[in-house]
Amino acid sequence: MLKDFFMLAARSITHRRMRSWLTVIGVFIGITAVVALISVGLGLNKTVEQQVAGVFGVDTFVLVPKGSFGPQRHAGGSSDQYALDLEFLKSIPGVKVAAAVRQRTGFVQGPTKADGTSTQGFLPVMGLSTELVNEFESFTGKLTVQPGGRLFLPEDKDVAVLGADTAERLEAKVGDTLLIAGDANKELNLTVVGIMAPNDEEASTGSSGGFSAGMQPAQSKDTIYVPYDTMSLLWGEASDVLVTLVRTQPGADVDEVADRVEKELNARGSEVSSITYSDISDAIGTMTTTVSAFLAGIAGIALLVGAVGVMNTMFTSVLERTKEIGVMKAVGARNSHILTIFLIESGLMGFVGGVVGTLAGLGLSALASMFIGRFFGVQMAVVASPALILITLAGSFLLGAFAGLWPAWRASKLPVVDALRYE
Amino acid sequence: MPLLDLRGVTKDYKLGKTVVHALRGLDLRIEKGEIVAIMGPSGSGKSTLMHILGCLDVPTSGEASIEESQISSLSEKQLVELRGHKIGFVFQTFNLMQTLSAQQNVELPMIFQGMKKKERAQRATELLTMVGLADRVNHRPNELSGGERQRVAIARALANDPEILFADEPTGNLDSESGGTILELLKRLSTEYGKTVIIVTHDPDAAAIAERIIHLHDGRVVEEVKNA
Repeated sequence: MLKDFFMLAARSITHRRMRSWLTVIGVFIGITAVVALISVGLGLNKTVEQQVAGVFGVDTFVLVPKGSFGPQRHAGGSSDQYALDLEFLKSIPGVKVAAAVRQRTGFVQGPTKADGTSTQGFLPVMGLSTELVNEFESFTGKLTVQPGGRLFLPEDKDVAVLGADTAERLEAKVGDTLLIAGDANKELNLTVVGIMAPNDEEASTGSSGGFSAGMQPAQSKDTIYVPYDTMSLLWGEASDVLVTLVRTQPGADVDEVADRVEKELNARGSEVSSITYSDISDAIGTMTTTVSAFLAGIAGIALLVGAVGVMNTMFTSVLERTKEIGVMKAVGARNSHILTIFLIESGLMGFVGGVVGTLAGLGLSALASMFIGRFFGVQMAVVASPALILITLAGSFLLGAFAGLWPAWRASKLPVVDALRYE
Repeated sequence: MPLLDLRGVTKDYKLGKTVVHALRGLDLRIEKGEIVAIMGPSGSGKSTLMHILGCLDVPTSGEASIEESQISSLSEKQLVELRGHKIGFVFQTFNLMQTLSAQQNVELPMIFQGMKKKERAQRATELLTMVGLADRVNHRPNELSGGERQRVAIARALANDPEILFADEPTGNLDSESGGTILELLKRLSTEYGKTVIIVTHDPDAAAIAERIIHLHDGRVVEEVKNA
C-alpha cells in the first residue's frame, strides 16, 4: 500500500511540475549550504588530523612544560622550560626512544681572526639529542647543513653546529674552534662541524609539518647547536628543557605510556605535560566541530526557509485538492491514508531537494578545496562520507515530511461532505 | 428488513449564524436490488439525503440504518469501512484523479482496501471491460470523452463490489447520447448484478429507469411514484 501511496504522491508532484521544482529549489539551497559547510568542516578536520598524524605517527608523544597545552594553558605560573632526567625517561617501560632540546644563553667567543682578535657575545645555545635528528625528522623538519659540514654523530661531544647568521657574525667556518662559557666557570672549546643551510624556500615550506619548537634552521639562524650531553658539561643537569619527544615501544599504548611518563616525571620534579596524537586530535576535533556546527547552524536558517516553502506548497496543494481528498475519502480512504499520502508528497519534495543539494554541496566543497589548495597551498580533503550523504538524504526527506505535517494533518481531517462540496 | 431505513431523520447545518434545516423529519425505506430516483428542486435536501444514505454524513436526529447498523452510532472508522465495502459513488463531475490513468482510477478504492496489485489490476481491467472501455485502460481522464469518464467513474464505484451505488446527477454533464449509455449501464447493474442503485437527479430520463421515484421538497418526502 505504501508503494502505491508513493506513486500517488509522485504523480501529484510531477503534475504540478513548476511549483514542485520551485519548492525543491528552496530546499536544495539550504541543503547545499549545510552539506558544503559540513563537508568543508570535516575536510578541514581530516586535513589537519592528517598533518598532525604525519608529524606524530601513532607511536610518538611530546613532553611540554606543564600548563602549556590544553584548557589550563593560560592558567599562569607555567614556565617555558622544565627540568628533565633524560636517562631516567629512557628507562621508563614502554619508552623506545627519547630526544630532548635544551636551551640557554651563553657567552661565546668566536675563532681568532688574522688580526689576533675574535668576535664575542651572548648567544642562544641549543642542546639537541642526536636521536632528534635521526628519529624525529617529522617534528624537526629536514635539518640541512651547508656543504663540507655535518650534523651531530652519537659519539660527538666537543662540537657545535652554527646557525647561518651566527657563523657569519662570528666569522667561523667548519673546523674552527669556539669557546662557550656556561655556569660557574665551566667552559668548553668546541669544534665547528657544520653550518646550517641558509633559509631558503625549501627550508621554510618543505617542513611545514614540523613541530619546530625553535629547532628549524629557518627560525634559528642565530643559534649555536651543541650535542645534548654537552649542555650538561656547561650548565649541569637539565632544568632548561624546551621540549622532549618520545617514541614508544612497538605495540605499546601511546596514551598509557604518556600518562605513566608524565606521572613518573612529575614525581621526580619535572613539571611536564604529555601531548599525544589523540590529545591534539581531540583538541582539533572540538575546535573544528564547534566551527562546523556554528556554520551549519547558519546554513540551517536557509534550510528553515526551504521548509517553510514546502509547507506553503503543501497548504496550497491541500486547498487545490480539497475535492480530490473528499473523493478519496468517499471511495474508502481513511484519514491516516490521506495523511500518509500528503506526508510522502512533502517528504519527496524534501528528498529531491536533498539529492540535488547534496550533489551541489559536495561540488561546492570540492571547489572550496581546490580554491584553498591553489591560494593557501594546503591540499584539503573533500569528505563525502556515505554517512553524511545518507543522513542528509534521510534528513531532507524528514524535513520535507515535517514541513508538510500540518497541511497533511489538515487534509486528513477535512470533513468528507465539505470536501466534496468544495468548488 | 429494508436495506436502507430512515425514520424521522433531520439534518441541520449552520451557515454563519443561520441554521439551515436541510432535512425535516424524513422517512424512507429502500429495498435491496431496487433502482430508486430521488428528485426535487435545488435546496430540497437531495444531496444531504444522499450523503446520509451513503454514510458520508450523520443525521442530526432520527434513525438512519443501513442493513441493521445505525449510521449515527457508527464511529468514523466504521463509516469508512462501510463506504469502502458496501457503497459506491458516481458524481456529476466524475471526480476522477487527473494524474492517474483510467485503470489506476478504478484501482484507487482497492488500494485503500489493501488489495494486492495483481488482483486489483485484473479486477480494474474486468470492470473497464464491463463498462465498455477495454481499449481505454491506459488513457488519462483528459484523453477521454465525458461519457467515457463517467463510465470510468462507474467502474471505480464498483471496484470493491458494493451493494449500493449512489449516482449524483450522473447525466448532468453529459449529452443525451452519452447520458443514455450511462443510464442503461446503471439499469444493467441493478437487473444483471443485483445492485441497489440510488440516483439523485433532475433529469426525467434518468428518473425513468427507476422503479420508484421519490420527490423531496423542503427536506421532506412529498411524493413517491412507482414506475410501471
